[in-house]
Amino acid sequence: MEGDSTTINITETPKERKGKAPLLAAPPASSSIKPVVLKAPKGGYKRGLAIIDVVLRIAGIAAALGAAIAMASTEQTLPFFTQFFQFKAEFDDLPVFTFFVIANAITAAYLALSIPISIVCIVRPLLVAPRTILLFLDTVMVALTTSAAGGAASIVYLAHNGNSDANWPAICQQFNDFCQETSGAVVASFLTVVVLMVLVVLSAFSL
Amino acid sequence: MAKAGRMEEGGVSKAPVPVGSNKGISVIDLVLRLVGIAGTLGAAIAMGTNEQTLPFFTRFVRFNAQYDDFTSFRLFVVVNAIVSAYFVLTIPLSIVHIMRSVARGTRILLIILDTIMLALLTAGASAAASIVYLAHNGNSSTNWLPVCQQYGDFCQGASGSLIGSFGGIVVLILTILLGAMALSRLAKRIV
Repeated sequence: MEGDSTTINITETPKERKGKAPLLAAPPASSSIKPVVLKAPKGGYKRGLAIIDVVLRIAGIAAALGAAIAMASTEQTLPFFTQFFQFKAEFDDLPVFTFFVIANAITAAYLALSIPISIVCIVRPLLVAPRTILLFLDTVMVALTTSAAGGAASIVYLAHNGNSDANWPAICQQFNDFCQETSGAVVASFLTVVVLMVLVVLSAFSL
Repeated sequence: MAKAGRMEEGGVSKAPVPVGSNKGISVIDLVLRLVGIAGTLGAAIAMGTNEQTLPFFTRFVRFNAQYDDFTSFRLFVVVNAIVSAYFVLTIPLSIVHIMRSVARGTRILLIILDTIMLALLTAGASAAASIVYLAHNGNSSTNWLPVCQQYGDFCQGASGSLIGSFGGIVVLILTILLGAMALSRLAKRIV
């Protein structure tokens, strides 16, 4: 029998076997032997994962952009006022909310700009460099978005509940709509974080 | 040999990479995890023992600031403790990666867990950071007064523990990157 351990020979007649030299690693081109590679091409599932990757990126753009716009457009003016003050709440009254808007805008822009790289991964599923780049950048974006969302969430929590030990009153009792919209924006931002984490896991599986 | 000539569908032919080249990555990974333990554990302990009592008091009230007066700080301590326990538990896995370079499944698992821990740690650290910022500066629009002007030591302790936690965040990002590099080297090897 053939002594080669890396190729499996099929469709070989006894006549050819008799007249052949002992097999080396590369089979002779003139014979009708068809070596079958043991390692199956892995392009199939990677392409599917890359398609899911692009779809998730588009969903992530929607979530991040929604969070940024929701936070930036909240504004509430209370119907009563004194002689000197009008009681108004806007997102740039609180620096954390400003950071939130900027960070979510950066994340949305990054997701939009990384779609071409992701499409390259669909077209060439076995390339390793674009996937590694995307994995690293997605990780950095997870950290950025989570920090924006976590900071805004703690301020929203403080606005809802106040803190008696620090003598910080709960402002949501007056500014109801403002609090609701900012809470919604924070939830959208956490959804973006989840989307980014799934993207990191997908890239890890496709490597 | 057939190695140099085989092209896979849609891919690029690469030169074979020696098996031992993932060892350096795995050693750096282990060192980073040890640094991460120090950072997050230090942050948790520093915040957990943060307490300041002011030297003056009225008849009814004693002016005292503790970490669990603030919900965000409580979350911060819990999250840092969880992440430092996670680092301790993944050190054996990291050692296995040093010894056995061809370990694709466990590397993927480690990347997944690192990402979850990254999100958790960053959320806790940023929540505490925003409260510390508020305590330092206050906010005139919402009538929140800066507490740090009375409780100086408390604020300093809180800020210092934040640094350890953000160090832990950097460590997690680096370990995820190292895991990705190791996976990409495994993928480039022609079996």
